[in-house]
Amino acid sequence: MTDAAPALELSGIDMHYGYVRALDQIDFRVANGEVVALLGDNGAGKSTLLKVMSGAHRPTTGTIKVHGREMEFHSPTDSTHAGIQMVYQDLALVEAQDIATNLMLGREILRKPPLGWLGFVDKKAQRKRSQAELDRLGVRTAAMTRPVEMLSGGQRQVVALARSATRVSGEHNGVLLLDEPTAALGYEQTKQVEALIVRMASHGIGCVLVTHNLPLAMAVSTRIVVLNRGRKYADVPTDQTDNDQLVGWITGARPSMFAA
Amino acid sequence: MTVPANPGGAVSLAPEDTAGAAPDEHTKDSVGIRALIFTRDRGLIVLWVVLLIVFSVWASPFFAKWSNAVLIANAGALTAVYAAGVAAGAISGALDISLPGVAALAGVTCGWLLTHHVSVVVGIVVALAIGLAVGVANGLITLRGFNPLIVTIGTLSATSGLAAVVAGGYTITGLNQLTFMGTRHYAGIPAPVWIVIVLYIVLTLFLTQTRDGIRFMAVGGNKEAVRRSGIQSDRYRVLGFMISGFCAALGGLITTAVDTSANPAADPSIIFTALTAVALAGVALTGGRGSLPRVLVGALILATISNALTIKGIQPYWGTIVTGLLLLAALGMEKGVETSVERRLMAAAQATVHSGKK
Repeated sequence: MTDAAPALELSGIDMHYGYVRALDQIDFRVANGEVVALLGDNGAGKSTLLKVMSGAHRPTTGTIKVHGREMEFHSPTDSTHAGIQMVYQDLALVEAQDIATNLMLGREILRKPPLGWLGFVDKKAQRKRSQAELDRLGVRTAAMTRPVEMLSGGQRQVVALARSATRVSGEHNGVLLLDEPTAALGYEQTKQVEALIVRMASHGIGCVLVTHNLPLAMAVSTRIVVLNRGRKYADVPTDQTDNDQLVGWITGARPSMFAA
Repeated sequence: MTVPANPGGAVSLAPEDTAGAAPDEHTKDSVGIRALIFTRDRGLIVLWVVLLIVFSVWASPFFAKWSNAVLIANAGALTAVYAAGVAAGAISGALDISLPGVAALAGVTCGWLLTHHVSVVVGIVVALAIGLAVGVANGLITLRGFNPLIVTIGTLSATSGLAAVVAGGYTITGLNQLTFMGTRHYAGIPAPVWIVIVLYIVLTLFLTQTRDGIRFMAVGGNKEAVRRSGIQSDRYRVLGFMISGFCAALGGLITTAVDTSANPAADPSIIFTALTAVALAGVALTGGRGSLPRVLVGALILATISNALTIKGIQPYWGTIVTGLLLLAALGMEKGVETSVERRLMAAAQATVHSGKK
């Protein structure tokens, strides 16, 4: 199989809640190394679409392809196995544990036998691996032994992003789904997270970024998709659009690019 | 060199902490912060040492003796066993109230088996298995979404009733087969103290060094984080109840061994003493944090206070009063230290971000 196929491709996605059409014939794709910003007003269907991608919701109709292979997600675990990781707003870090433990949770490095047979963890190797992974992403946070509860909001966000990033860079680079990653951050920390997203993309990870923050979308994305009342209104490369156009699509003042 | 490896891990060795910290200059915390963190993590041990020194002078010459130290350790042993159980439950995010009932049921069952000519080994194994089984039951019921406090109150009631049924309502006496784990001394140290030493070493290594232990603590701290890491969190929650049930059964066996009799009446003071030791040790009842060595020190502090007061011939009520006040003071100190550590660390982190130093 070639990697020319998009990392994640959704086509003809319909999502009905009773008579309500939350999503109406949405086509969406993200390639490796691409950052696609998903914009839209409240209730436009951004979160629903993200949940379809993460496997939390099953679409009424439509197909999902990962690296060109058709998939059906019955739960978030399925999408995780396919290399698609959701980064939640609430971060889900273990406060009392240190950075290394948080990064390595679920893929711990065991000591050499015989202690390894008893499940003893090689903490030194874990710290080394975590440090190396963060270095590869160009992230400086704090000592690997620092408990997460003693990190600032920005540092926590960085740790959470890095954890997801390290989980999707398997044989194929995967896709990260980011839901308002900078909502709770100050200016400097937002800049740090922006830089990290760009760097992750340069490592070949595909990113889908749901946000209300237009400057963030303009700063980090390579392509912007606008949803409006469940329909796709626009799908443009970021450098071929501007704030005015985007706001027009978001509010519906500007007609859809795909108007029939 | 910077912050301790984990707030709970008294066993982590200082030198290895430098590995991850070396490259980051800005993570080297100031002396003030390090002192605060030290107070938070090791304050209880300092308090105990201070108590020991004060009592050595106050209750001299009887207090500061090896024989008295053995006495204190032996008196604290039972509390320590139950406290380990309560702590394991609390770390996994559940308060297990059923300990007294499980202890009574385990003791009485073992006693009943021994009076019916079953071998000692089988008696002990069955008793411990009962503890584990009650733990599994507690865990599985709690997983259905019920409040662990209420669930374990239910099993407390059920197990203490069962204990009375097994014993026919009377204390089973003449159980001399268990003295090897009760009143016998090995190398000058009573058997219960040896049991506590082994129990605490095993549990501490488990919680701080093994994959399952670390995941267990993580589940208590943030179930969701663990679940999203693709780990089944449910079994770790059941494991918490199993450890606490096991400790309860072990405590019941030790009580039976020391008394050479098995009393079917559940003793509710078990849970409160254990809980005091656990709370002194700063184990959060919300789960996810706690250190067993500190729980052990908590149990020893309780034993130390009551021992010194006994030596001075002071009425035991004062012991309870002092313990209560100590607990409240410890809570206050912990809160104070924690907030100031966090505030100063946050300030430091902000400063480095804003000054642009990486």
